[in-house]
Amino acid sequence: MDTPLNDGDALAAAVTGDGAGLAALYDRYSRLVFSLALRIVQVEAEAEDVVQEVFTQMFRQAGRYDSRRGTVSSWLLTITRTRAIDHVRARKRLPDSRYGREPEAAAENLPDPRADQESQALTDEQVQRVRRALDNLPVEQRKAIELAYYEGLSQSEIAERLKEPLGTVKSRIRAAMMRLRDALELDQRVREPQVP
Amino acid sequence: MNHDERELASAYVLDALDAGDRERFEAHLPGCAECQAEVRSFRPVVDALARVADARHPSPELRARVLDARGARAAQPRVLPGPGASRAVRPAIVVPWFLATAAALALAVLTPYTAQLRNRTRELAAAVRDLTARLAEGDRQLVAVRNEVSLLAAPDVKRVDLRGQGAVPQAAARAYFSRSRGVYFVASDLPAISSDRAYQLWFVTPGGPVNAQVFTPDGRGGAELIAAVPPGMPDPTVLAVTLEPAGGSPQPTTVPFLVGTVN
Repeated sequence: MDTPLNDGDALAAAVTGDGAGLAALYDRYSRLVFSLALRIVQVEAEAEDVVQEVFTQMFRQAGRYDSRRGTVSSWLLTITRTRAIDHVRARKRLPDSRYGREPEAAAENLPDPRADQESQALTDEQVQRVRRALDNLPVEQRKAIELAYYEGLSQSEIAERLKEPLGTVKSRIRAAMMRLRDALELDQRVREPQVP
Repeated sequence: MNHDERELASAYVLDALDAGDRERFEAHLPGCAECQAEVRSFRPVVDALARVADARHPSPELRARVLDARGARAAQPRVLPGPGASRAVRPAIVVPWFLATAAALALAVLTPYTAQLRNRTRELAAAVRDLTARLAEGDRQLVAVRNEVSLLAAPDVKRVDLRGQGAVPQAAARAYFSRSRGVYFVASDLPAISSDRAYQLWFVTPGGPVNAQVFTPDGRGGAELIAAVPPGMPDPTVLAVTLEPAGGSPQPTTVPFLVGTVN
């Protein structure tokens, strides 16, 4: 029996034109990518276009994938979000205030200070915790997070959309992010009790 | 300790900062371990946000659409060789130090030079012969030779200064690139790496990065190598070094931490 390719090997294989590598990655992650794309663009046919673009981009940019920065799936989801938001913006003919940099050209040869050694896949349990924490956020905090993440709005765009002061929006996003982080960290504390 | 920038970390990871704030934060981040830790702590949150959408399956037809499109693309000519090439990456150079040095000398011999330099080159060639015979204990002579060699610069050779990026600004390297003779590369202050990793030097061409050489630093963080220029490769615009798994990668898998422009 062949051992299934791990993500990194599948990615490397896909880059050399190996159809099995690409197929393995598609079968593993197309559902995740499609689900996020659909959440953002809201239209199935358009979400499928996004999926196709994501896997095309993955192929083209695989050389830029850095395992220290996150798992292959996290990287694919980052591409998915950017692509999907581009679709929505193009459809609405919105000026692209923050994505003016072509994402493929940006960061070329630039070091990423965000690089870290600790990236590992989230467990389903952790994702569910964040989902519950998101549902339990005060509605105005959740709205701000959703506008930022799923619609790609910046803080000042969110303030404009909600007709709220910018400072209020900034505080809400920070408070919400800390509560979501607490939900994850609580999980870690449960798994690995700290010695006092 | 408190500073304003730290309050930007969560929105930065969420990609919600306005351009001004983002630029301020990105300028601050490389020098601030506290903010780097803050950024790391929020990254799993954003990763989870990408995964909380209700699970939906794309249509079965999409699979063929994606895979067929890729198959067609894979058939296009590429700068790098195709399947199987990953195993063909040259291993770190260990044995032919004297060959490497001799190749560097060839660079000098083949270019017009002052008599003084020719004499110096002859001395160096003698030193190389000496090293050939005494390779096992020739380290000290080798250092002397390569210090001399590293000074050589010929009109048909382009000097490339590579600068450390990001977390390793102290790392530095110099390379002498000749289209016909190869690249001679000397680095210092490279971070130590574990045995399952290696550094890899790349010719970055308009067609993409092309492997030059996989190498590992010595105990003091130094490295020196000579690599050939693959036939038919477009002229490189940049030389770059990345950290890769031992044995190297067909394409860079990390962001370069040493970069220099070939002028």
